[in-house]
Amino acid sequence: METAAPVGSFPSPYEVGTPPGCEGWEDLYPYYALFDEERREADEKRFWFWNSMHFPLPMPAFDAICIDTAYQALGTWQNRVFAVPPAMGIDYRCINGYIYISGNPVTDPEKIAERAGHFQQRAGYYFEHWDELYGAWRTKMEALIAELEALEVPALHELEPDEVAFGDQETSFCAVLDAYRNVLRLADLMWQNHFEFLLLGYGAYVTFTELCKTHLPDIPDQHIAQMVAGLDVLLFRPDAELRRLARLAIDTEVDAAFVEGRTAAEIESELAESERGRDWLAELEAVKDPWFHMATGDGLYHYYGSWLDDPTIPYASLTGHIAALRAGEEIERPTDHVATERDRLAAEYGALLDDEARKGFDDLLALSRTVFPYVEEHKFLCDYWFLTTWWNKLRAFGALLSEHGFLEDGEDVFQLSRLEVYSALDELLLTWATGGQPRGPLYWPPIVAKRKALLERLADWTPPPAVGAVPEAILDPALIMLWGVTTQRVHAWAQADEDGSSIDGTPASPGVVEGVARVVRNVRELGDVREGEILVCSITSPAWAPIFSKIQAAVTDIGGVMSHAAIVCREYALPAVVGTGRATSQIRTGQRIRVDGSAGSVTLLE
Amino acid sequence: MSASPHTRPLAALGRGDSPAFGGKSATLGELIAAEIPVAPGFALSTTAFHAFVREAGLDGKIARELALVSPGDVDSVVSASHAIGEAMRSAPVPEAVRAEIAAAYGALADEAGIAEPPVAVRSSALGEDGEDATYAGQLESYLWVRGAGHVCDAVRDCWVSLFGPPAIAYRAHVGQDEPAMGVAVQLMVDAEVSGVLFTCNPMSGDPSMVAVNASWGLGLAVVGGEVTPDDFLVSKVTGEVVRERVHDKDVEYVPDAAGRGAVRAEVPEERRGLACLDRTALEALVEVGRRVERAFGSHQDVEWAIARGRELPEGLVVLQARPVTGLPGRHPPSGNDTAMGLVMSMFGAADAKG
Repeated sequence: METAAPVGSFPSPYEVGTPPGCEGWEDLYPYYALFDEERREADEKRFWFWNSMHFPLPMPAFDAICIDTAYQALGTWQNRVFAVPPAMGIDYRCINGYIYISGNPVTDPEKIAERAGHFQQRAGYYFEHWDELYGAWRTKMEALIAELEALEVPALHELEPDEVAFGDQETSFCAVLDAYRNVLRLADLMWQNHFEFLLLGYGAYVTFTELCKTHLPDIPDQHIAQMVAGLDVLLFRPDAELRRLARLAIDTEVDAAFVEGRTAAEIESELAESERGRDWLAELEAVKDPWFHMATGDGLYHYYGSWLDDPTIPYASLTGHIAALRAGEEIERPTDHVATERDRLAAEYGALLDDEARKGFDDLLALSRTVFPYVEEHKFLCDYWFLTTWWNKLRAFGALLSEHGFLEDGEDVFQLSRLEVYSALDELLLTWATGGQPRGPLYWPPIVAKRKALLERLADWTPPPAVGAVPEAILDPALIMLWGVTTQRVHAWAQADEDGSSIDGTPASPGVVEGVARVVRNVRELGDVREGEILVCSITSPAWAPIFSKIQAAVTDIGGVMSHAAIVCREYALPAVVGTGRATSQIRTGQRIRVDGSAGSVTLLE
Repeated sequence: MSASPHTRPLAALGRGDSPAFGGKSATLGELIAAEIPVAPGFALSTTAFHAFVREAGLDGKIARELALVSPGDVDSVVSASHAIGEAMRSAPVPEAVRAEIAAAYGALADEAGIAEPPVAVRSSALGEDGEDATYAGQLESYLWVRGAGHVCDAVRDCWVSLFGPPAIAYRAHVGQDEPAMGVAVQLMVDAEVSGVLFTCNPMSGDPSMVAVNASWGLGLAVVGGEVTPDDFLVSKVTGEVVRERVHDKDVEYVPDAAGRGAVRAEVPEERRGLACLDRTALEALVEVGRRVERAFGSHQDVEWAIARGRELPEGLVVLQARPVTGLPGRHPPSGNDTAMGLVMSMFGAADAKG
């Protein structure tokens, strides 16, 4: 592991001020999520980095469940199940609505050795039985999604239904609270599933990367990714289905309905007028489950719905594919080329190694290819399908609260923490039962209004990439594997020249282009992206795929070569630089920049 | 005995000729056999050197002077070098050797279609290729030599360089005596760009990379370290340029306007900061590098030049190849290099307790 004397510094988490007008942001989050005075001495000495990969925007109070539950699950599997020798779990703190994380290392050599024994046994079992365990995992995940989809939120009527009076149906009080507890329980289970395979999957891949770099020190990261990446990737299926539907629209001569600028509803209503159009719509309907469970964003915020909730992205994509087909262009993903290139790279690199290294290379490549489907598929099943469905279930509770005046709008439910929602439901059920006057309708709406205003103001604040101490070395496998946060990268952040005209990151997809930057800080700004621009964002989601046909390069704040932006850019043969730490804060929309996806550098040209 | 005992066309040489013709000439012969583009030429055997020393009666003089050298005493080295050089320069090249050089040069002239074509006259040290590398920079080469008489003089100057102070000191250090050398004479390549390539990254040892250093003009500037060359790292596997560092290249060696010899010239301002290789040139270099590596079965350090006004890849010529020495060591196997063993160490679980 490389080490170097740390140079530069990060601000103390206690010295980062509150932006004007944002006072009171702390009320949105649990007491333990803050940099408090009681833990100051320890917390100031730790290295904390902004997890802009998962939480690029200020957290709404309810959405913070995706921090708590996720880190609970990560810690459980890493620390309490597999006992990863040098690392326990990940702690988080919140500054001005943004999430900073820090690993908990194990430092006692005795303890590390003891954990190593458990790890070898437990992780070894998983690797040995991977296909079987992963098969069971998929079944379990699909059952969980089915349970979630079947979950109903009971309504409150003037009188309890006959089944309560004459049958043995439980009362609404119990049914509503049960449903709410259930919805939380299902999320707990999903996050546990999410992390069951994650570390081991990435671990095999990162080990292969390290082996490649030992014997082939200059190998570009993207070549390693290309050798491992799957061909039949679940995440590419939705767009593949759209391409098929685009061809169908042309073959059945209903393509005239797809005019750029039309809304999904306008296109659908024109299609519904003809028989062929209705046939096409029926085909679309058949594709929707499951392929429209793609999220419009990276899934960890309630406002990232699915393509079912907002069909703008798939329809824009369909219109684009149809226009391309009409222009005689090839729209198929070059699967043959990807497959040939993947095998050619593996064969050529393998041939350069001596026999001993060759064996490790071949075995680890095979292991990486075995575990990789999980790495790619959990995203679709957990982050997209489950979460987009799950947010909608919570909207049903929001609707219940708003129906009874506790909220002005059902969507406001996400402005309360999960415990506050529980409390509001408690009071609603109490006063509904007693017929008394609830305080909720007077109590919650002003809180919601204040929080919405706060979140809007906090969104304009740019968090520093890291706070606290500059670490000598990053040794935590999870930080390295999942966030691409390496010693080198952290030291580069600490030394960052704020006025520099150049930003370094990880080279993720080769090529050099110059163009105009478009800084996108949230999914709602995606619609502003113009043809030929360079996308600059915190992190992208595969659900953004359709806009990759518009842009000529991508730059992200966080992520490694296996981040989604990197994968998609390689698919579309666009240059990409990821993990820059500060691209969105240093690049302006409209600025001319040069992206060198081979060198991993972004040059500001004006 | 053949009609020309002292010379042979480069194309007729192979590895086995190294003891007689020196490493450089033998290597050039092998490159030609592997169909790697090399400027045509001929090689002079060590027999020519021995004939020269014998006929001029220099054996005794050389032995006496060398006997006075004590390793580490710079003055004794310089004084021996000076005395031997003086004696060699005033001795004639034997008539038989002169005639053979003239005939071989004439054949080159016919091949080039020029009456007195410019040639490079290059020392070809004895012994294995590795030794040639050790001698690097000590033995002389003479560029842009024209006319058989001047070629003979340049050949003698090469022989003299075998007794340059560094070469004497080196041999005294390793305890070697009775030196001899061959000489290679090749048609001159009017290099627009030249440099060195390694068939691996010599810094990291990465075998999947070709490392290229290049500058304007003849190779002297790069080999002699007189400019900071443009520096490229190119993937053998995909041809991607992984690293590109373009530097200001302020001097270059070009043919003297008088028609003989090479001169050091300032590079015009507007050309200094330009990359001297484009993608097409790098592609051709990687291809040639891979072929040289294949031909020799090990990593090679290749000197090359791109001829002025010629199309690629035909314009690319290999001047010399030798094995890469001093690569970073291979990582020793840890004894637990199974895939699972490596995954375990990634998680810090290599040394389990109990």
